[in-house]
Amino acid sequence: MTQVEVLVIGAGLAGLVTAWQAAQGGRKVRLVAKGWGALFWHAGCVDVLGYYPLDAANAVSSPRQALAQLVREHPRHPYALVGIERIEAALSALQTLCEAANYPLHGSLDHNWLLPSAVGAFRPTCLAPETMTAGDLTRREPMVIVGFEHFRDFYPELVADNLLEQEVLARSVRLDLPALRDRRFVTAPLLADLFERADFRQQVAEALRPKLGSAARVGFPAVLGLRRAVEVKRDLEAMLGREVFEIPSLPPSVPGMRLHNILVEAIQRQGGEVLTGMEAVRADAANGQVQTVWTEAAARLKPHRARTFVLATGGLLGGGIVAEPDGTLREVIFGLPVEGPHERVQWFRLDFLTPAGHPVYSSGLAVDEHFRPVDADGAPVYTNLFAAGTTLAGGEVVRERSFDGVALATGYAVGTQLAAQAQEAA
Amino acid sequence: MGVQVQPVEVTLDNCIKCNICVTACPVTAVTDRFPGPKYEGPQAARFRHAGQPSPDLSVDYCSGCRVCNMVCPTGVKIAEINARARAFMVERGAFSWRARLRNNLLARSETIGKLGHPVAPLANALLNNPLARWAAHVVLGIDRRAPLPRLAPQRFTAWFQAHPKPSGATRQVVYFHGCSTEYYEPRVGRAAVRVLEANGFQVIVPPQNCCGLPLLSNGEFGAARAYHRSNVRKLVTFARQGHAIVGTSTSCTLTLKEEAPELLDAYDEEARLLAEHTFDLNEFLLTLAEEGTLRTDFQPVPLTAVYHPPCQYRAHRLGFPAVELLQLVPDLHISVSQVACCGIAGTYGFKREKYEIAMQVGRPLFDLVRQEGVPIVICDSETCRWQITHATGVPAVHPVEVLAVAYGHPPEGPLASLLGG
Ligand code: SF4
Ligand code: SF4
Repeated sequence: MTQVEVLVIGAGLAGLVTAWQAAQGGRKVRLVAKGWGALFWHAGCVDVLGYYPLDAANAVSSPRQALAQLVREHPRHPYALVGIERIEAALSALQTLCEAANYPLHGSLDHNWLLPSAVGAFRPTCLAPETMTAGDLTRREPMVIVGFEHFRDFYPELVADNLLEQEVLARSVRLDLPALRDRRFVTAPLLADLFERADFRQQVAEALRPKLGSAARVGFPAVLGLRRAVEVKRDLEAMLGREVFEIPSLPPSVPGMRLHNILVEAIQRQGGEVLTGMEAVRADAANGQVQTVWTEAAARLKPHRARTFVLATGGLLGGGIVAEPDGTLREVIFGLPVEGPHERVQWFRLDFLTPAGHPVYSSGLAVDEHFRPVDADGAPVYTNLFAAGTTLAGGEVVRERSFDGVALATGYAVGTQLAAQAQEAA
Repeated sequence: MGVQVQPVEVTLDNCIKCNICVTACPVTAVTDRFPGPKYEGPQAARFRHAGQPSPDLSVDYCSGCRVCNMVCPTGVKIAEINARARAFMVERGAFSWRARLRNNLLARSETIGKLGHPVAPLANALLNNPLARWAAHVVLGIDRRAPLPRLAPQRFTAWFQAHPKPSGATRQVVYFHGCSTEYYEPRVGRAAVRVLEANGFQVIVPPQNCCGLPLLSNGEFGAARAYHRSNVRKLVTFARQGHAIVGTSTSCTLTLKEEAPELLDAYDEEARLLAEHTFDLNEFLLTLAEEGTLRTDFQPVPLTAVYHPPCQYRAHRLGFPAVELLQLVPDLHISVSQVACCGIAGTYGFKREKYEIAMQVGRPLFDLVRQEGVPIVICDSETCRWQITHATGVPAVHPVEVLAVAYGHPPEGPLASLLGG
């Protein structure tokens, strides 16, 4: 019988990276999740640190420097637990994986990209896929932002107008394509599918060419193919004679799905299982160890036994931690102690835009140096339970723009640690 | 261990409009006639009220595969919302009499089996007669290309009655065969009985009837309720005695466990008891393995196969018990299909207006089977097996048929021609 060694709970970036790293290290991994996770509504980039200190006027230009400061000033931040060296290793592991999937992610800790967001804001990010990098806003060449009639999840006028206001030479164009005209529904996955067909690209290029004028680059909503995006981008560039880049659109995010698919396939290639529709609802423990996690199934709960368990269910935003009506915070599966305000009045400060931030956003699980959730005395609650991702306390991932970085780095740290234990045991 | 069930309507408030379900729905991926789970489910459901016209009849294009439910991060029961919307359409007379007649013919495989069986050769000839198929296509809307099964010469229960019961059985189990095993593929039931007996069970096959799923997925809730009630009445005594009720048809077991009580709001004490005691056969065998009471002295079965877990199997939310079992069989090499659905979805792919959609939904699976060049496909659900064979020409069997061979029983059906009968 397949003996599961590592049971990972959660299919966001942290859970997938943990499972991938543990499986790559030779462990028998099963990942269970209620449904697919946050990657489906993310930009598909890796934001490591966009703003630090949080009241700084400008975005971080060198994540490495800002991280050094953050780690010094916040020794309990998830990044401080991982350490800059391992953060860098995590980024490079993901880059290697994506490169092998013909979907290179460019960038490094030395430099943040500034790329246009779905509303035309400047978006600092550390790693960006090759399909997005020509949108670099530190370059001066004028751009055209393309949208499609009937596609309601991307507004080229909004992007271009906002960019122009920030002194980026941008204007918008809308294409009314025959291929979309008689369709009743045009969604991002549908466009991604169409862009993988040469005849559709041809149609787009022909409609677009006369409208390009002196623009040196062309921004599309991020729908340039699900499996062969880089190929699609290069083909469009050849046809248009200009650089092409993608701008994230409203969810579902095609670039997020690409990363999701690459990670899921990496886990499966290593013999790991990825199972959704299986919400973990409770756990049994004995002698300080988790024995079994139960997931919801038709007419019953299904038990999963394993040697180690990883909690990657997200924080308040992801549903791994919920708030009771009285304001207490509760971790839903194991009932782990949550660090953070325990009365609703302490959740927020009085000033809405206070630079100090609101306490509830840095709530989460406190962990030891091995990422095991700890009790009030700092001792691990269970010796074989680990936590990764935004369920951890001490970060402020939204304001810092560190959501993906924290998920990736902590998932990597936990996954490699479990892989190493396997090697020791062998 | 029992579970708390969230009512279908309540779950629609959980929707956060992330569109993840839309990216996963295999039907919306291939046809513009179906906008996708989010729109049809949690969104349109807000506008469906008794006495008011339904906002969009396209919900009938939902195949009920439940792929959306499996990926939704917030637990919206989208497929159930859609199934109820279809029942609502039936109730309001939104379907023509012709469509309802066709749907009822397809959904009553038990009645067809009962009527057809005594005249099986004639019925088979008719079902395979191009002229008759053409007429059914034009008049009824049953696609003439769709993979209709053939009635078997001997019903499963007739075989079972004549089958000598083994002596020395130490435990008892109830077998739910379903209509397909009874009338079309009794070899699956024979294999199930042999595998259970090999593990020291006395197999009980009590009177039972169609689980009602085909009716549920055609919106014929009234008739489905009668079937479900009747099964509850016939089987609940066994559940009370603590017997497991195991089935080889994954959609029948899912219906008894969840679909029927949930869609029909039939969570009374008896239906609940039956649900809690119903098991998919692989699930059941795997529990035995976990307790250490499964015989694992399997003989080699030298075969390479693609295993396809049907969408209805995934909906049990058990992972892949069949894979775990088949991995114990020496010399059997399986590659597991990750394709969400073969397209047929019960009676869906038999319908003229949906046949092409179903074939396109299944295309990635058919490509996989061809590309792997395997001589056989293993799949738990009967209509999926028929669809796969129809599309690829590769025969398909239930996992338990392979296990029966691994326990030393002579292979039957497609396995006989491959392994030498
Ligand atoms: S049940 Fe299947 S066909 Fe229906 S909406 Fe969900 S995924 Fe689509
Ligand atoms: S996946 Fe669930 S939450 Fe997301 S849009 Fe679909 S039904 Fe709503």
